[in-house]
This record gives sequence, C-alpha cells and structure tokens, in this order.
Amino acid sequence: MRLLKGIKIAVILKIVLVTIALAVLGFLMQAALLAGDTQIGIFFGIAIFLIALVYFTRISIPLKFFLPGVLLLATFVITPVVYTISMSAYQYKTGNILSKPEALKMLKSNDAFAQVPNEKKFDLKLGWCDEKYGDPKDVANAPVCALVSYYPDNIYFLSTATTLTPLTRDRIIFNKVGLPADVTKVGAKYTWEPFYEDEYATFDKTIVSTRFKYSKPGTFMQAEGYSVMAVYAQRIVYDAKADTFTDIKTGFVYKDNGRGNYANTKNGKDVMYPGWREVVWFENFVNLVNDPSVRDPLVAVFIWTCIFAVTTVVTQFALGLLIALTLHTKMRGRWIYRSIIILPYAMPSIMSIMIWGGMLNTDFGAVNNLIGLLVGHPVHLTWLTDPTLARTSVLLVNLWLGFPYFYLISTGALQAIPAELTEAAAIDGASGGQTFRKITLPLLMQMLSPLLISSFAFNFNNFNLIYLLTGGGPKDTLSGQSAGATDILISYTYNLAFNKGTQNFGLASAVSIVIFVAVAAISLYGIRRSKVLESFV
Amino acid sequence: MIFLKWFLTKSWRHAIAWAVCFFALFPLYMIVLTSFKKTTSLQVGSFLPTGFSLTNFNSLLTNPTVPFYTWMSNSVIIAAFVSVVSVFIGAASAFAFSRLRFRGKKASIQLLLLIQMFPAVLALSAVYSIMDRVHAFAPSIGLGTIGGLVLVYLGGAMGVNIWLLKGFVDSIPIELDEAARVDGASPMQIYWRIFLPLASPVLAVVCLLSFIGTFNEYILASLFLNDPSQQTIAVGLHGFISGQFATNWGPFAAGSLLASLPIVVLFLSLQKYIVNGLTAGAVKG
Repeated sequence: MRLLKGIKIAVILKIVLVTIALAVLGFLMQAALLAGDTQIGIFFGIAIFLIALVYFTRISIPLKFFLPGVLLLATFVITPVVYTISMSAYQYKTGNILSKPEALKMLKSNDAFAQVPNEKKFDLKLGWCDEKYGDPKDVANAPVCALVSYYPDNIYFLSTATTLTPLTRDRIIFNKVGLPADVTKVGAKYTWEPFYEDEYATFDKTIVSTRFKYSKPGTFMQAEGYSVMAVYAQRIVYDAKADTFTDIKTGFVYKDNGRGNYANTKNGKDVMYPGWREVVWFENFVNLVNDPSVRDPLVAVFIWTCIFAVTTVVTQFALGLLIALTLHTKMRGRWIYRSIIILPYAMPSIMSIMIWGGMLNTDFGAVNNLIGLLVGHPVHLTWLTDPTLARTSVLLVNLWLGFPYFYLISTGALQAIPAELTEAAAIDGASGGQTFRKITLPLLMQMLSPLLISSFAFNFNNFNLIYLLTGGGPKDTLSGQSAGATDILISYTYNLAFNKGTQNFGLASAVSIVIFVAVAAISLYGIRRSKVLESFV
Repeated sequence: MIFLKWFLTKSWRHAIAWAVCFFALFPLYMIVLTSFKKTTSLQVGSFLPTGFSLTNFNSLLTNPTVPFYTWMSNSVIIAAFVSVVSVFIGAASAFAFSRLRFRGKKASIQLLLLIQMFPAVLALSAVYSIMDRVHAFAPSIGLGTIGGLVLVYLGGAMGVNIWLLKGFVDSIPIELDEAARVDGASPMQIYWRIFLPLASPVLAVVCLLSFIGTFNEYILASLFLNDPSQQTIAVGLHGFISGQFATNWGPFAAGSLLASLPIVVLFLSLQKYIVNGLTAGAVKG
C-alpha cells in the first residue's frame, strides 16, 4: 500500500518536472526562432521532441536514465568537439576569418583604392556650393562642396562628387593664419558658403564617404579628417565574371587560389587581404609535418610534454611511495605527519599554483630567500625566466601538488598487500630489500599502474599549472620563437588559437586532434592494462 | 640500548617525515605569514613573523572595488549547483550503464570514453561562439552570465562523472537489485528506492570531488565572466597578482587563505571517503 502511494506521487512529480522542462525549452526555442537563429531553434525542437517521446511513452527505459546527460553532452561537449575537428580542414586564421562574400565586399570597397604616392595633400575647407545654398529643403541632398587649396602652387578650386570649379587667388578670403576660409560673392550671389560648426557632425558620414572630383583622370580625392584632402586612385579592378582582381598599375591578375585568398597568378605568395575561411582539407596536417616553422616548435613542445608528464608521474610516485613506506609502521605522531602531508592536496590547486608563482619570483620570492639563508649570501636565481630553471620550477611545483595523492593511494595499496606474503618471504630468508623488490613493488605496480597512466594522461594536458605558473614561457619572441620553454602541447595550442597577436584556428584544431589521438592511445593502453572494459561485455 | 634501537629503526623515518612536512608546509606557511603582514608585498625580511596585522584582511573585505563576498558566494553557488546536479544526472546514466541491458552499450561507453579524451580547453572557441549566439536571444543563460557558465560546466562534468560513478555503481552488490526485480520492481523503482539510498555515500564523495574541481576551474570562468560582480574567487584573486602595475600579494594571500580554509577542512574531515574515491581513479583538478 505504501509502495503504491509512493508510485503515484512519483508519477505526478515526473509529469510536473517534465512539463516544466518542456515549457522552458519551448520558450527558449521560440526566442531563438524569433531572433532568427534557426539552427539553435531546431536544436531545442529536437530536445523537446526527445524529452516528450522518452518520458511520456515506454519506447526505451535506458533512455529515461540517459537523456538528460546525453543532451548536456551533445550540446556542450560533442558539438564543440565536432566543430573544432571540422575547423582543422580549414584555412582559418588571422587574415582569413571572414566568409568569402564579406571579404569580397571589403576588398571591393576599402582596398580597391590607394592613396597616390607623391601626390599633394591639399588644405580643405568644407561647405556648400552656390546653387544649393539657401534652399533649406534641399540641404540634406545637396552635395558637400569642398574648398580645396594648395598654397605653395597657388592652386584653388571647388570640388564636389561630380563637379570641379577652378578659382583664382583673388576670389579667396583668407583667415588669420593664412588659410582659405571663404569665397567672395559674385554680385549678390554666393559662390560657396562654409559649413556651420554643427554641420560637420551632422554630415560626417557624407563627408567621409564622398569621393571628390580631381583633375587627373582615374583619381579622386577623399577627406582625411575635416581639414586635409588626399588624392586616391583606383588600384585594382574586380571582374565579377572571372572572379579576379587586376592591379591597374602593374597589370598583375589576382585569382581565387582556392585557399582563401586572391593570389597573384605570377607569384602565388603575393596575396590580397582580407582573405576568407576556406576548406583546405589536410593542409594543416601537412604543414605540421612539412613546414619547419610549424614542425620544429611542435616537435620540441611534444618532447617536453612527454618529459614533463613522465617526470611528473615518476617524481610524484617516488616521493609518495617513499613516504608511504616510511610511515607504513606504527610510530609516534604518524597521524600528524599524515595530516600535514595531505595538506597540499587538500588546498585548492589554483591558489597553490598562484602562490608558488610569487614564491619563485627572482627579487622578492621566498624560495630565493630561503636558499640565500642556507648558503649565507643573497641569491638571484631567475626561476621563471631562465628556460632550464623554469622547467625545474614547473616540475617542482607539480611535485608539491601531486605527491600527496600518490602517498594516499600507495598507502592504500600497501595495506591491501596481504601480510602473509611478506612474512613468508622473510621466513624463506629474504632480506627487507629483496622482499620489497621481488614482492611488494611488483604487486604495487600491478595495482597502481592504471592510476599511474591516468595521472600521466592528466598531466599531459595539465593546462592550469603551465598557464598560471609560467604562461608557457620564458619565450624569446625577438628571435621568432613561437613556443616557450615550458609550453606543453595544450598551452602551446591554446596560444596558437587564442593569442592576442596572430591566431591560427585551423592549425590549432589540427594540433588538438594530434593531442586527442595521443591521449586516447595512452588511455586506451591504460584501460586495456586495467582490463576495465572486460566487465562491459 | 633502547634508544639505539629506536635510533636505528625509527629515527630515519622521523627524519624523512620532517623533511617532507617542511616541503609540504613551506608554501602554506608563506600564505599565512603574508596574509597577516602589514605590507602587501610577498617580500620576506625574515621567515619568522615580525608582527601581527589584519591590514590585508581589512583591505580585502572592506574595499568597495573588491567584492570578495560576492566572488566567494559566486564560486560556492556555481560549484555546489554544478556538483549536485551533475552527480544527480550522472548517477542516472551510470546506473543504466551498470545495471540495464540494452543494445550498443559497449559502443556508447567507448564513445563516452573517447570524447572524454579530447582536450576540453581547445574546444573553447566553439563553446564560446555557441554561448555568444545563445546570449543573443536568452541573455540570462548566454555568454557573460553565471547561468551560462553553469550549463557549460554541467556538460563538461558529465563524462567524468558518469565514468567515475560507473566504477562505484559496479562495486555495489547487484543481488539487492535482483531481489527487488524478482519482487516485481521496475527499473525506475529500483533506481529510486534501492540504488540511490545505497549509493548516497558514494555520490556524496563524487559530489565533493566535483565541487573542488569546479571551484578550481580558472580558464572558462575567466573567459566567460567579465563583470567583477559575477566573477569567481579564482578569477577575482588572480586579478590581484596579475595586475600590470601593482601586485597585491597581501590581500591575495588573505583571500586565498579564507577561500581555501573551508575546502581544506572539508577535505580533511572526509579524507577517508575521498581516498576510496581516489583509488577508483578520480583525479582531483
């Protein structure tokens, strides 16, 4: 009877919870669709459908357990991972971030024109030409009329987008500093009238975008600010039919090179920017192998990553085991030792890493102070800025962070080894060292090897430590180094993708996949050893 | 004679223990020493305390531009929510993996394991752009909000937790489930009425590990939350020492002391249970 009552409450609770979830998702779907984000809208739609299907029918009992986790995984892990993997097939880096239509638009508007070198820079005074002036209705459509002058050569003229009117010097009224400020009237009629102060702001967009007429063919003038006029000429012409740009001066033709840029047909290295994201399939992977500027730092980083991960595991395990063996006997104060030794592990690692960063400072750091105290004179070891010392620091800090973990698990494993085994060995006349080497250690390794491997995999990608302690440095950027001395694969790749200067998402994604494969191989090996998967069959 | 015996068998043990304790305590001692100093620098004139001052705590807790309590409560709320919800959802999946029979079980476990191995930091830009799009229509759960960050953490915690919990669930005797099934209980009833009560100590441990892991997370939190009143304690305190012009080690040490203390106490008091979790393959972040 009690059981039955429980079921009823459970059913009601289930219906209420599922309905709330559906309502929230429905609301979000509507919002997404209204905002025009169809992809995300459809995603919510699928989620709603699946939830209703799984929880209101009996289609699959396992799915009732899995669905919430699966939805979260799909959204925040699988989708980003798939996206990242697909990016590895793209030319996707600084200079190739836009889509092709966006890049084309920018090339046609901004970059098709260039200032003519060796051409004069004119003085500029903005205003309105006579026929429009005084007709308030039409001011908005009136062409802005520039009073342009070049004092040394006695050149004065009025220019709009379509007209060019030369003026003689006697028509010009100069201001106190000798710059043209106005034009004399012809009879009662104004030829030109300067802007009022507030008109500069009002017509700012028109001023910036107007191409004023200039005397030489193929050129025009554009305002630089409100008081200087510069001469521009068309540099490249776009041929929509052939999808090519032609440089007017040199005659070079720039063609879509299929790799996200318009490139000179005579010299493939001469490309126009901005480019766009383009599928290049395995080029990023090929570069990993073939391009020395990519390959060499990557190989160096890979080697250091392995050294770092192996050394970390070995030192942490060795120290942890040493303490476990030392304390593996009844002795006074053991629990105090134990409590103190696990403190580094209990402390949030992020705080520890940051405080270590301060302690390793060359000038005020406690480590240098302590060494100075021991050797009797001040020392100035550059712990975080010298490549070798920085690597030592990273290993030292990681040893501090991780040895209590190995102490704890080694102690657990030691306790699990039956005392009979070691006693039998002692009776057979084995020495303490022999018993340890021939019995205790093999058994320990057998028990702990899966944990050693998972610790290796964890440290292989120990981003927090490197990022917060050294930032991957020290790095000699002046000599063009792209990887720091302590950079491990993951921090190096993070910098490739999120560096403030140049970013290369495509290459970073390719390296991510390499890391992925490496870690997967290590872990699968570990799993096979621990035979975890056997229990699933 | 007794002393000689003690000296030969025990003294080296104490010597090693002392040395290791010194190594373990040195940074922690520096945090305490620095936080109770008068100045804000990490400079050590002497390794012995030269005075006792609460200046650094005062400047941390009363400075209006340093919302320490807000950071702390943000971190605790985020970590608590993420750990409880992710363990709850993860436990359901782990139960199904461990106890139910269905097609594609082995394949899905292997897939889960495989996804787990992708370096999460590197999928950041994709997560970032997804949450940026979500922000456009649902500002309360998109980029720059605690809600959004929690969702991303939940997704990220899923794989680890399912994997870890599955190990625990496997160690709970299946005979109880079978007895219940013979008595006619459905999988749902077994889950709610037999499995969850039995597994609750284990779930609590995974919860705690997940809490500490989330509390320690830095890079996502620093990319996601820009507004100081929304930041977590890790990001906020990092600001003290990463400043271009002034590094305030004093308040930083005081802050990390206050922030770490509850975690350390929690960890030490539950260490027996945590160690069991560790031997099952958990790696604390």
